[in-house]
Amino acid sequence: MYKSLLAGLLLGTCTTLLHAEETSRHTSTMWDYYHQRLLDNQEFVFDDRVQVNTPPFAEDARQVPLEIDARALPGTTRKIMLWAELNPIPQIMVVTPGEQLENLIAVRIRVEQATPIRAAFLQDDGLWHVGTGHIEAAGGGCTAPSVIRAEEGWEKHVGEIFGARHLRDNSSFLRMRISHPMDNGLSGGIPEYFVDHAQLRDESGRVLADFELFASVSENPTLTLALKGEQQARLWARDNNGNEFNARF
Amino acid sequence: MLRLVCGAILLGYCLMAQAAYDLQPKLVADNTWVLEGSTGNFSKENGGNIVNIAFIVTDTQVILIDSGPSFAYGRELAEAIRQITDKPVGTILLTHHHPDHMLGSQAFPHARVAALASTAQLMQEEGDAMAENMYRMVGDRMRGTEVVMPDSILEPGLLELDDYRLQLLQLHGHTNADLAIFDPQTGVLFAGDLVFYQRAVSTAHTPGIAVWLQDLDTLAALPWTVIVPGHGPVAGNDAPFQQMRDYLGWLDQLLTTAAARGDDMNRVMRSPVPERFAGISLAGYELIRTVSHLYPAYEQAYWQSLSE
Repeated sequence: MYKSLLAGLLLGTCTTLLHAEETSRHTSTMWDYYHQRLLDNQEFVFDDRVQVNTPPFAEDARQVPLEIDARALPGTTRKIMLWAELNPIPQIMVVTPGEQLENLIAVRIRVEQATPIRAAFLQDDGLWHVGTGHIEAAGGGCTAPSVIRAEEGWEKHVGEIFGARHLRDNSSFLRMRISHPMDNGLSGGIPEYFVDHAQLRDESGRVLADFELFASVSENPTLTLALKGEQQARLWARDNNGNEFNARF
Repeated sequence: MLRLVCGAILLGYCLMAQAAYDLQPKLVADNTWVLEGSTGNFSKENGGNIVNIAFIVTDTQVILIDSGPSFAYGRELAEAIRQITDKPVGTILLTHHHPDHMLGSQAFPHARVAALASTAQLMQEEGDAMAENMYRMVGDRMRGTEVVMPDSILEPGLLELDDYRLQLLQLHGHTNADLAIFDPQTGVLFAGDLVFYQRAVSTAHTPGIAVWLQDLDTLAALPWTVIVPGHGPVAGNDAPFQQMRDYLGWLDQLLTTAAARGDDMNRVMRSPVPERFAGISLAGYELIRTVSHLYPAYEQAYWQSLSE
């Protein structure tokens, strides 16, 4: 009796610990704040089907690659939000996806210090499904001026878009880099100047997905997006000075 | 009794705080000694001693090749040299500007510190930031360490120090400002960080893998008998060159293929390291760094302009 009681106690402790480990990956000091400010206190669930992949540490705090893969989520996605909790500019992007967009997004961002990264998917079940990643960083990625500003004649290349379309796993992967300093206003004497809006469109101009972008996105924004099936697509983008850029995949 | 215990604990802490680098110079050729660091990464435990430092005892002086990761390392190095010779350390030749190679110079206030002009320039631009980063990673054993700028500039070609001759090569593969030193008297090649052996290469400042491979050809063609890599064991055969070529070739192939397949960075960073590199320390860690630094250029090479 004594033994089984002890075993029971031990087992209890173990499961509690396991449970703690399961949720601690998702807990953070800033969660409640962002739950209120960005998700408007709406219903949510931490969901490991929303994978937030990052390298364990930021080798270059100005270009930290994020890969959000929520293709395992069932149902239709209505909204996607990405943010880095401890960044001076936390928000990364807000996506309004059409039916054709796969729940797979890769983007490179600046980080100012070690921070949790969140990806929240609002599904048709009415819940925000939230995934969490963590990035270690020595810091300084946000307050360093953009590198391309040091290159002579950079203005001539603003808005140039390079990339490729790859057909794989029954999807069209669209990879692109937009030449742009993405000035975030945090470096002395350089005002905000960044691409703040983009859309994927089909050949007839119909919007396939809409992206609101923030200045936490790295200079020369590098994105991977995916569409279902074999799809041609165009990209339209606009910066906060009103310049428009177009590309065709 | 309590006092005794407290005293013992205190003594233990003191000993820990003074944890020595335990430098053991190893004779690798006539009058030529190497202090071999670990193949690990910077840590509080190793105090940054992940690097190979060498010295040559000539008729008149000691020529030091790189000075180590910290002031404390430099002091212990000076003591280790004194155990071997009374001759003064007259010259420090810095192979490149990375912190583990140049932050021990403070311990040799009477030595001439010499480097390539391009290395001096990089030390001017990045030296302090690199030293700061070392404080973050290594901690207390960096205490008091400061960058000592070179006071003389080296030109590639023959360097004569009193009657001792060294052949200097100005190369580019590792940092774009890399000095390799060949000693025609002994046949020892001090390759600096152009050669890593049994330790994954650090690519943070490379101008590109193709440049690096060319440098390896240049070095391999010298009449060397002993290779002192910047990191990893000293070798008397061409195994370090073979491994470097194989490893850099794999990296180049991996990044080229990934860009053509359309992988984003995270996926490339998760690539498995081939079995044959199992003996190479920190390959997975350095791969993450390499992808961060080099992959954008591979993407750009594959991509086309989509603007319209």
